[in-house]
Amino acid sequence: MSDDPLHSPRAINGRAPDVFRPGRWVSMKQYAEHEAVDFVIVGTGAGGATLACKLAEYGFTVVALDAGPYFRPLEDFASDESEQTKLYWTDDRIVDGDNPLQLGSNNSGKAVGGSTVHFAMVSLRFRPEWFKARTKLGYGADWPIDWREMWAYYTEVEQALKVSGPVNYPWGPPRPRYPYRAHPLNAAARALARGCEALGIGWTETPLATLSAPRGLAHPCVYRGFCVTGCSTNAKQSALVTWIPRALSAGAEIRDLAMVGRIETDANGLAVGVHYNRQNQWRFQKARNVVVAGYAIETPRLLLNSATDKFPDGLANRSGLVGKNLMAQANQAVWGEMDEEVRSYKGPPSLAITEHWNYEDEGKDFFGGYAYMSQGPLPQLWANTQATAHGLWGTRLVEAMKRYNHVVGLKIVGEMLPQESNRVTLADEVDQYGLRIPRVTYSWCDNDKRLIDHSVAFMSRALGAIGAKDLWVQEDDTCHLNGTARMGDRPDNSVVNADCRSWDIPNLWICDGSVFPTVGGANPSLTIQAIACRTADRIRGLSRVGEIRLN
Amino acid sequence: MLSAMRSNQARKDKARGSFQALPVEAMRARPLRLSVPRSLSRSAQREAETVSAARRLNRAAGMLAASVLADSALEHYRGSFKNKAMFTPLVVAGLTLAMSLHGTADRRPVAHRARDASYLSAAVTGLIGTGFHIYNVTKKVGGLSWQNVFYGAPLGAPMAILLSGMLGFCSERVRANGRRRSRRIFKLPAAETVATVSALGLLGTSGEAGLLHFRGAFHNPFMAVPVTLPPIGAGLLAGAVLNGGRRMRGLARWWMRLLALMGFAGVGFHAYGVSRNMGGWRNWSQNILNGPPLPAPPSFAGLAMAGLAALELIREARDA
Ligand SMILES: Cc1cc2nc3c(=O)[nH]c(=O)nc-3n(C[C@H](O)[C@H](O)[C@H](O)COP(=O)(O)OP(=O)(O)OC[C@H]3O[C@@H](n4cnc5c(N)ncnc54)[C@H](O)[C@@H]3O)c2cc1C
Ligand code: SF4
Repeated sequence: MSDDPLHSPRAINGRAPDVFRPGRWVSMKQYAEHEAVDFVIVGTGAGGATLACKLAEYGFTVVALDAGPYFRPLEDFASDESEQTKLYWTDDRIVDGDNPLQLGSNNSGKAVGGSTVHFAMVSLRFRPEWFKARTKLGYGADWPIDWREMWAYYTEVEQALKVSGPVNYPWGPPRPRYPYRAHPLNAAARALARGCEALGIGWTETPLATLSAPRGLAHPCVYRGFCVTGCSTNAKQSALVTWIPRALSAGAEIRDLAMVGRIETDANGLAVGVHYNRQNQWRFQKARNVVVAGYAIETPRLLLNSATDKFPDGLANRSGLVGKNLMAQANQAVWGEMDEEVRSYKGPPSLAITEHWNYEDEGKDFFGGYAYMSQGPLPQLWANTQATAHGLWGTRLVEAMKRYNHVVGLKIVGEMLPQESNRVTLADEVDQYGLRIPRVTYSWCDNDKRLIDHSVAFMSRALGAIGAKDLWVQEDDTCHLNGTARMGDRPDNSVVNADCRSWDIPNLWICDGSVFPTVGGANPSLTIQAIACRTADRIRGLSRVGEIRLN
Repeated sequence: MLSAMRSNQARKDKARGSFQALPVEAMRARPLRLSVPRSLSRSAQREAETVSAARRLNRAAGMLAASVLADSALEHYRGSFKNKAMFTPLVVAGLTLAMSLHGTADRRPVAHRARDASYLSAAVTGLIGTGFHIYNVTKKVGGLSWQNVFYGAPLGAPMAILLSGMLGFCSERVRANGRRRSRRIFKLPAAETVATVSALGLLGTSGEAGLLHFRGAFHNPFMAVPVTLPPIGAGLLAGAVLNGGRRMRGLARWWMRLLALMGFAGVGFHAYGVSRNMGGWRNWSQNILNGPPLPAPPSFAGLAMAGLAALELIREARDA
């Protein structure tokens, strides 16, 4: 049988790839399709893998399906940007709106481990006030969860990923010491630091989910900077090398190359399992509970595609909010050149960060906040950026590429506000499985634009202050998608409650970035994983008092 | 008769001392000490003991110098010898090592000019090196921060060559005592001085190991060993100086042996640490530079050897 993970599933016959040992396998429990498992989980990314692991460890029977392949990072990942596009979700989608999103490399992954297989590892906690953004800061919506509860779950995730972070974090309430120490700064990160010092604001080493010391069979980071094309040393603590192995050893089953097309509901309006396509066959897995964790586009798409006569607008959608309030995060950058060599691509791309404008509200003409980080684009990405965003071509492009080693850049992760008009709907076209593809509509609001203007002006000053020359602004870039199935405290203003349980179908859960009511100016994966840990605890608690369907 | 008994007792003590001494280096010292003829006068006996004590210190200084030589070679190679001054510790540590070997082989009861000069220059290099390293750390963005003490030039490293120089210099002073009854380093009592230098050295080196192991997040429980055993050893040396009873000294002596063993075992642990980097030992040319420094832990052995020499001096000063 071929061992091409993109075409033949690897997690079969009672075993799954051992991601730590080339060519080896770990044993995997398997469940019969006709017998209902306690939980079937759609998607094994930040949300799905974490939940699968925790639920299996709590003794529930779990099958987790992912449309993507089961990679062996030590063997399958090349130091080649083109080859590694295999990590992205590049199935057909339609984008529109005033600011159509560029989908693919910068926002979604398709693999066991989800987008965390190629994410940039930045692992930030939210600012506590963001959980009550409406009440405390006057915009967006409140979360139905208290920040103090989240603080404990953040700690759990940081430990699970052995996050490497500064000894003291300069912003927000005290947090426990990061399990591993911060990585050494590269020249790009020191440039950020010097800019912050020149402008009198704080900076620190970015908390990163990549190892600064060995951990079990995972090697420490080697600072080659291939992170966003897939880490081939296992230093990156993606879900694929953290939660998934734990889930397997706790008895969960993972099914790779398994695309879920529809959630089945019965006459009582309860979910009974999922239809999925594996090896060109439609199959059905019975389950007592269904969890959707497919990322902010695929989650609403699946809910909408599962409409029935009883739920004509799609599942969990009585509020009409499924697919709405999609939030990207602003990802504008300012680039320049230094006289000396920077070689910004050495090491993880974002080794230094300032969250100043996440925590400082004075002097802003906008709601929300942003962090900005040092950057380290790989050469092909950089050539693309120069050709498209900067509009260079021919000799000018060649000349610019010759100065690649001198490039220095700062990039924000900025909060965009929830708007119902930014949304995921279904297009009439179908994909390779015959499923209707998503249409993603996105437009920036005035507040988004003001935030972007503020950040670009500030970062330009920061780069100017350290002597960077030929500054230019990359204006149209977004990252991280969230929203589309927001959590809340009432069925009419949200899709799920604080436990990620849908208001309409009590055995249907949503556990990924879709549930965010607001996104803050911080990368979301740590929060997604913290919410998944909380959800697992809540499910265990509810099952003990008989409030969950388990037979 | 009395004197015969005394020297017999001394011989027994010596025999015990050398038997319990360090695995490799000290074993070599044994025949030389036993070769002190029984019939020698007490002052000649004293002179022989003085020279042995001095040679033990030469050996300790040499051990430290060897550790510094290998460590700075590796670290400064890793830093591409960006600054010409980065060759200095190699030259100085190499010279100190050679002088220490010379001293170990030398049985004459007089200080040696060249050795003195080289030990002094080692000490000065250590001081200047510390200055350089502090400058390197503080001029980085962030100044004296965790980031810079973790990854900038290691503040404690040049101290090792300073210690080596100081121990060697003490060795020459001890040697110069010849037949004198109470051995002195300038005006200070030799035994206590060497014990103090060794104890402070142990504390400082342990501090540096602590810093770097904290950088490694103590990910392996054994990383706690070099931050717990040496301070206890320093305490025992202090105890031996202050209280000086035989039992305390005996305990201290055992502890120094344990520390020496730890110093050598540390190389093994660091070798294991190297193997845990990507590519393991197959990728040795990168991982030796990347992983935990192989030559660092034996500096504990050097200091433990100095501690043993100090304990022997204390014994001779108080029991003889
Ligand atoms: C280049 C890049 C860099 C990033 N950097 C950071 C960072 O530094 N810090 C940070 O916090 N976040 C970062 N992110 C974002 C982070 O990776 C995501 O927010 C997070 O992984 C989302 O988690 P999720 O569970 O919602 O979805 P994902 O992790 O994307 O997982 C969804 C999974 O579901 C599967 N799936 C979807 N639909 C179906 C279906 N119908 N059937 C079966 N399987 C399905 C997909 O294949 C995918 O594997 C980055 C993202 C990208 C793309
Ligand atoms: S720089 Fe570190 S985290 Fe990034 S790909 Fe290389 S080893 Fe992995």
